[in-house]
Amino acid sequence: MTEYQRILADMTKGLAPFTKGRVEVNENTELVGDLELDSLQIMELLLFVEDSFDISIPVSILPDVKTVGDLAKQVEKIIGNS
Amino acid sequence: MNQILNVEITPSATPTLSALPLCLADFDTLASALDYAAQGESGANFYAGSGKLATVLPYRVLREQAQTLAKRLLSFPLERGARVAIVAETNPDFLRFFFACQYAGLVPVALPAVIHVGGHKAYVNQLHGLLNGCHASLAVSSSQLLPFLTEAAEGLGLQFVNAASAFDELPEKKCQLQPSGPNEMAYLQYTSGSTGFPRGVIITQQAVMANLVGSGYGLDVRVDDRCVSWLPFYHDMGLVGCLLAPMATQRSIDYLDTRDFAMRPRRWLELMTNSRATISFSPPFGYALCVRRLRPEDIALYDLSAWRVAGIGAEPIHVELTNRFSELLAPAGFNPLAFVPSYGMAESSLAISFAPLGTGVVVDWLDSEDLADNFLATKVSPNTGSSFVRCGPVLPKHEVMIRDEHGKVLADMHIGRIIVRGPSVMSGYFELPEQTQLVLSADGWLDTGDLGYLIDGDIVVTGRHKDMLIINGRNIWPQDIEAIATRQPELRSGDASAVSIPGPEQEDVAVLIVQCNITDADVQHHLTQRLHREIHEELGINCVIELVPRHTLPRTSSGKLSRSGSRKDYLLRQKSQSTADSEVTKKA
Repeated sequence: MTEYQRILADMTKGLAPFTKGRVEVNENTELVGDLELDSLQIMELLLFVEDSFDISIPVSILPDVKTVGDLAKQVEKIIGNS
Repeated sequence: MNQILNVEITPSATPTLSALPLCLADFDTLASALDYAAQGESGANFYAGSGKLATVLPYRVLREQAQTLAKRLLSFPLERGARVAIVAETNPDFLRFFFACQYAGLVPVALPAVIHVGGHKAYVNQLHGLLNGCHASLAVSSSQLLPFLTEAAEGLGLQFVNAASAFDELPEKKCQLQPSGPNEMAYLQYTSGSTGFPRGVIITQQAVMANLVGSGYGLDVRVDDRCVSWLPFYHDMGLVGCLLAPMATQRSIDYLDTRDFAMRPRRWLELMTNSRATISFSPPFGYALCVRRLRPEDIALYDLSAWRVAGIGAEPIHVELTNRFSELLAPAGFNPLAFVPSYGMAESSLAISFAPLGTGVVVDWLDSEDLADNFLATKVSPNTGSSFVRCGPVLPKHEVMIRDEHGKVLADMHIGRIIVRGPSVMSGYFELPEQTQLVLSADGWLDTGDLGYLIDGDIVVTGRHKDMLIINGRNIWPQDIEAIATRQPELRSGDASAVSIPGPEQEDVAVLIVQCNITDADVQHHLTQRLHREIHEELGINCVIELVPRHTLPRTSSGKLSRSGSRKDYLLRQKSQSTADSEVTKKA
């Protein structure tokens, strides 16, 4: 399992409370388009990600994140840099 | 004085008590207010998301840094009053640049630093519109956000667009600084306007100082007061209420980044506990976020007994929320009478009124039908009808009136437009004389656009600007949502109506009703999803999308879309839908 896949798996688990079981989550799932997360739920998701990977997510990465995979890639990059 | 520059910044927060005598904003300009505050020990303190103190910025240091930076800004050939756009993140650089402008006779303009997931293009467009609207000469951001700012500034001919650190490399102009004077512009505030048509509120030094005096007395600011804020500096409450007000009364303030608060609301209360803060403001949304997200087991760890001014305003205040917050935080020593319902807007610098201190949330219960049909505030017994919160009397030296749609002044308990006049009122919207004329009369009365009534001298707001949506504490203009819909290839202008409806917890829920000829379910689904996503990317809100057949949206007699009609029809459709659903359930 690569680092990316491990992050993706953890993130998918973390998304469970938000999907209400309606949507199957994979790396192409759009956070807003598919999961319909609102801005406060995005904050809760970021909180989960920051806490579980012990990182701090800079605000500047969000505009170019659309899918679960995009976010996992960013997390991988942040972990790699730290 | 040179010695001070060499002193290492201490790792502990600035004290709020100092030997400097308290002065309640009695200065002619922001620069002279900072000159005075710089003689004491107080200042601004910035906390990281971890809750740790990251940077300490005493007003004394801020003044020195701002004056140096002012000379660097003046190394560019700038006319007096030229605009300096600052992407307003919660960090010391915002304060440095804001006050550098004050000392240099330039006009700071705070730009939003809120970016939504997938919102790259939307954010750049928004910044572009603001930079263009204020004809900024210089623009600055953190290095993180610089790529967006640079992209936004393309083609606008600014003299310099760069990260804060790059400004520190500039040469200092050898000159005597001439701070912005009482009649000059203190700042331009782009706030609650629609993103499609941004309006910059012009606030002079005199206006903002008058407002700061009003809030200093209104909140009875004392020597031992200390503030905490997580509000962004590009909002009037964050800028005027939580940066300029503490500075102009020489009090210390502890800052938490807005996003850190949104992620971990408990940080706000932890900081209040640790710093023994006495004053903190928030829109209802912030208190609601605490109610929703605080862990019950943590509550006993907080000590909020020092909190004497829990300001609440900027959106409709519901007594159910303040009651729930008070109950939840009672074990932490929170005093429900600390709530100070407040009313204000950027067009009046910030504050228009504060409820009297120590009274908490005072509610009028009104007959709902008399309210809707006759525009009358008729009292009924508590817990029946509709409830509205009293926001106290208008600030001293200011006046308030209620007028009907024909301009007639109404008596107490009659609902109409709230109109205010006084020294805090803006000079107008920047370079928009027609927009200014719509709200500001020749004799100085500002039409707030809000509806309300007066009782015993108190202002009560019953409805905010006719069509505006307030979602999670942010003002959203229906025009902006509708513009996203009508730019879709399959829709045309006039095909969309955006309204808000009350959600399960009385919060506003945005609904976009779209009329189209599409009957194929798959195609409908794709359009709905696309609209939902684009609205979120641009405005950061979840919006319910309803597709209806063409010619469904109601129009006014003059042929314009009627949002209130659309809203009424939508609620009727929902009601008949739920009745139909329950019929089905019964049969099953």
